[in-house]
Amino acid sequence: MNAAAQIALQNAVNGLLVGGTYATVAVGFSLVWGVLNVVNLAHGALVMLGAYVTYWLFTLYHVDPLLALPAAGAALFALGYPLQRVVINQVIRASFLITFLLTFGLDLLITNLALAAWTADIRSVTTPYSGGSIALGPVTVPIVRLAALLTAIFVAALLHLMMTRTRLGSAIRATASDQEAARLMGIPIAHIYALTFAIAAATAGIAGGLISLSFPVFPAMGPGYTLVAFVTCVLGGLGSVPGAFLGGLILGLVQMYAASWLGPNYDNIVAFTVLILVLLVRPAGLLGRGYRFRG
Amino acid sequence: MITAIRRHALPGRSAGVLAVLALGAALAFPAVASTYYIRLATGIFMFGVLASGWNLIGGYTGYPDFGAAAFLGIGAYTTGILMVRAHAPFAAALLAGGVLSIVTALGIGVVLLRLRGHYFAIATLGFMIVLRQLAANLELTGGGSGINLPGASTFTGFYYWMLAALALAVAAGIALPRSRVGYAVAAIRENQDAAQVLGIAPLRYKVLVYAASAFFFGIVGGIYAYWFTFIDPPTVFNVDFTIQAAVMTLFGGPGTALGPLAGAVVLKSLDTVLTNISVFLHNVFFGALVCLLVIFAPRGLAEIVRGGASIAETIREQLRESRI
Repeated sequence: MNAAAQIALQNAVNGLLVGGTYATVAVGFSLVWGVLNVVNLAHGALVMLGAYVTYWLFTLYHVDPLLALPAAGAALFALGYPLQRVVINQVIRASFLITFLLTFGLDLLITNLALAAWTADIRSVTTPYSGGSIALGPVTVPIVRLAALLTAIFVAALLHLMMTRTRLGSAIRATASDQEAARLMGIPIAHIYALTFAIAAATAGIAGGLISLSFPVFPAMGPGYTLVAFVTCVLGGLGSVPGAFLGGLILGLVQMYAASWLGPNYDNIVAFTVLILVLLVRPAGLLGRGYRFRG
Repeated sequence: MITAIRRHALPGRSAGVLAVLALGAALAFPAVASTYYIRLATGIFMFGVLASGWNLIGGYTGYPDFGAAAFLGIGAYTTGILMVRAHAPFAAALLAGGVLSIVTALGIGVVLLRLRGHYFAIATLGFMIVLRQLAANLELTGGGSGINLPGASTFTGFYYWMLAALALAVAAGIALPRSRVGYAVAAIRENQDAAQVLGIAPLRYKVLVYAASAFFFGIVGGIYAYWFTFIDPPTVFNVDFTIQAAVMTLFGGPGTALGPLAGAVVLKSLDTVLTNISVFLHNVFFGALVCLLVIFAPRGLAEIVRGGASIAETIREQLRESRI
């Protein structure tokens, strides 16, 4: 195998590995957008909090970051439920500008409180196996990124099963497709909304934990991941877990190839160009219709 | 909201007299005030221009542009580059920045304004992030280290430049709803499909108003660059400018001529007081303010004060409408 082909192959592997993390960032964002019709600009801030949960458990108590993932998920679930129930539910029927601004305000609040509590220092989680990698023929696979991809698949599969096979999933989908009818069927809407947001926050927390394994952790890291989540959702089609997953993998691949051709400093430009192209050419997303949370 | 499309009468004589008095007072202000207050007023004017400019597209047209700071950045960089590299006089560089903002808005607007709702909002935000990254990568813009502009000999000039921009922005806010374009965008805001059936080509009108809004952001960017003598990508391509303009517009009343200016005066004054106490407080306060405002007064304070019912009753009513 010549060098160029080897580099291309390595890029593909790297792109898919990063794409798994993008998918985990995006599934919760997609869920909230699809069910609540809220574009949650604070999603990246929730990812940031998850990363800090993992970081502090690792730094203070030497908890392995992969084992800390459930804790990050649980902590964000506990934060997400009241956040939706007490705050966002108040404006859930207002125009999208209002919910957009509200979640922006939440993002500002969370980011600045994190800044005050933990300073702007850029931190990282370095485990004994952080530098390790497996050689698979001509390509090398970093262990932490492989673990992140496997976790991402696990989380997405779990969420997909929950949405399609459980009573809670049915209730969420019913609420998304017709709120009034769902209410008449005895579904407690406010509670379902809060649960949906909490589940999304939990996946954001887990995504943050995964990110802390191979990317820097700092209070202002959120907005970049919110943009990633948005582009991923648009790519894969709104409100579908498989779609979000596919979108994440594609975005990961595109960014990795673009980085190797253009240099590493053009990632946002590439993501945005992809976004605009997809919105103009195929606004329903690449998968078209999978199952939908909304009609 | 249908009542929003009403015939806008021409302002009466008393309104004209008030406007002349206000302008006269503003012109005379630097002669009597200390430098601190001249700077403060210039800052308030600046956000008055941004809010009034944002209101054209976000308020009157109902297309919340979350990337408006893109044009502030274009104006700032055009002014900076022309003054430093071509030694152009400030006025010419400023004008060039405004014109380039319009041209860019006409080009990108044709693409972005086809999108609606969330998609439009996030696509505009993405557009701004793209320009920020471009500015950080290009040699012309000085990359990440930005551009240092020559210092101005006196500060009072900025006050008058900003005042002129403000007068123009407020005039645009008064003129738009009384013009053919204003009627078109009001119809588009209320129901775009119905407007189209009536023979209004939405895209053309939206792009026109978008370009006007971009012009004001571009002008502010140019003045800002010369005022602060240093620009780099994160300071001018800064989403905070957009959000502040949006919040001030929302606070004072979107789709009204003077609401955005009123919002800018109140919020910027409050913000200055808080910043003097602590910068941390200023950021947390701003986040909390945004949350409280959209929860308790989603249609602006003007609506609450103007309503016949008591303030508490109006707030309760609005909450009932939007909560679950």
